[in-house]
Amino acid sequence: MGVRAVRVSSERSLQRLWRTFAVAYWLGWQIESNWTDPLLFLIYSVIRPLGGVLILAVMFFVVARGARGPVLGFFVTGTAFWPFVVMAMQGMAMGVLADREHWKTLRYIYSAPISYRAYLVGRSLAQATSALAAMAITLLFGRWVLGIPLYFSTIRPLVLLPAFLLGIAGIVAMGLLITSALTWTSREAWRLPEAVGAALYLLCGVIFPTTVLPRGLQMLSMGIPLTWWLEAMRRGLLGEHALLSFPWASDARVLGTLAMLVAVWIIGAGFAFTCAEFRARALGILDQETGH
Amino acid sequence: MRAGKKLTRVFRAMVGRSYPRIIGSNRDKSWLFYDTVLPLLGTVAFVYVYKALGAPERFIGYVIMGGATTAFWMNVMWSMAAQFYWEKQGGNLELYMMMPCGLTPILLGMSLGGLVATLLRAILIVSLGSLLFHVSYTLPQVPLFLLIFTITIIALYGLGVVFASLFLFWGREAWHTVNLFMEPVFLASGFYFPVRALGFWVGLGASIIPLTLGLDAMRQLLFAGMHPALLPVEVELAILGFVAILFILLARHLLQKMEYLARREGRLSLRF
Repeated sequence: MGVRAVRVSSERSLQRLWRTFAVAYWLGWQIESNWTDPLLFLIYSVIRPLGGVLILAVMFFVVARGARGPVLGFFVTGTAFWPFVVMAMQGMAMGVLADREHWKTLRYIYSAPISYRAYLVGRSLAQATSALAAMAITLLFGRWVLGIPLYFSTIRPLVLLPAFLLGIAGIVAMGLLITSALTWTSREAWRLPEAVGAALYLLCGVIFPTTVLPRGLQMLSMGIPLTWWLEAMRRGLLGEHALLSFPWASDARVLGTLAMLVAVWIIGAGFAFTCAEFRARALGILDQETGH
Repeated sequence: MRAGKKLTRVFRAMVGRSYPRIIGSNRDKSWLFYDTVLPLLGTVAFVYVYKALGAPERFIGYVIMGGATTAFWMNVMWSMAAQFYWEKQGGNLELYMMMPCGLTPILLGMSLGGLVATLLRAILIVSLGSLLFHVSYTLPQVPLFLLIFTITIIALYGLGVVFASLFLFWGREAWHTVNLFMEPVFLASGFYFPVRALGFWVGLGASIIPLTLGLDAMRQLLFAGMHPALLPVEVELAILGFVAILFILLARHLLQKMEYLARREGRLSLRF
């Protein structure tokens, strides 16, 4: 009887987690997309990444004077996957700030009988979904307009799929970490997610191989899951044609390191979020507005 | 006498609105990190792209100048164009509307405050970037350089007021539209490469954004003989002057029209 009660209780709590996640996902998607019609939203979603990849392509052609090379593939893949970081990681933090300071709904969401973490993950993944179109269009543009060597034969699903899922998990963990930091930040809280995004853009080999960075920054970049994620995505998409940040590492090593780092960051983010939550509740600043 | 009073009122409103941007925002020194290090990070990323490509040194100078220009564009778009959207959300717009000075001095004050603060930040970005990557410039024609810069900024902030009047009417779309005007504008205006690389006609079309010609003219002066120019400096200066006057007139007209429309349709206090 006791065992059955525990099982029913855990099923209910899983159901509640799932329901919270699903509703948060729906809410995040509505906030993200319902300000305009679907076609305009699609155009809006792809224009910025396409602009980004074109800037890099023109920079390349200005220097290379018309020649092509593997670096173009590097630019395209980095720019194609970067919107996931912007949307899911920065988006989660911006969503919390909007709930807290703009819509002023944080206190109601937090005090509702739901898991706040499931809510945050749902909101974050809804944002990540809107990056899918940008990714697809950027890769197609790279393939058909810029002529990067992206073919069915170069795609390695066994590297690509696990790396993609691990990367998204890592991005969500990083979003949770920034969200934790927001409770410590006054006034400039709105700019913190952007600041972290800019630092990661520089460090993680998004638009240039990390081998170009000074030694100290290279070491730092190796501790961030995004660096390994982008490396794995390049290997998974471009195969042997990929220009790499870690040419010395095998695919298995790249995936293994990514998995290990994602696990470490998830645990770290969970711990940081628990501490930040506890402190914010103790000080009564969970819904304190900072944008004066 | 009445004209004198009116002018004083305009001047006071302008100074009053610029005060929080110049003095107020400097009270919290965190801007030093967010407004200099943050844009510098993005700029440094593009410097490393050129380093990875083995580009000549002047390209690094292009990127640093582009990074400084980004600060102006961001200021104009986020703190001028979209400002009335924020003010609407914060409940200040109604207060501005009720003031006897009208919206124009408020916008002038925002421009003045934004310009002073952004200029300081741009100087820091160029200084830090140049020190970090050992970039040197030769500038034999300082007065001409300053004239181009001044006219570019006047035209740019005129464009900011044009957008501000349009966004007066909008809700969440304003935020997304400003977001949209980032990378595509950096591309079309040649923030990180000579705009001539896009082709003459594309570059000329992009000249509607004052930074396109402003940057090209300043680069011609800084990297004399090496920079592939879109047009001669004198022609670019003349076009910039024309664009500046055009935007100022257009801004004045649009501001009145949009204010009337927004009042008529009751959108001024509509937050969401």
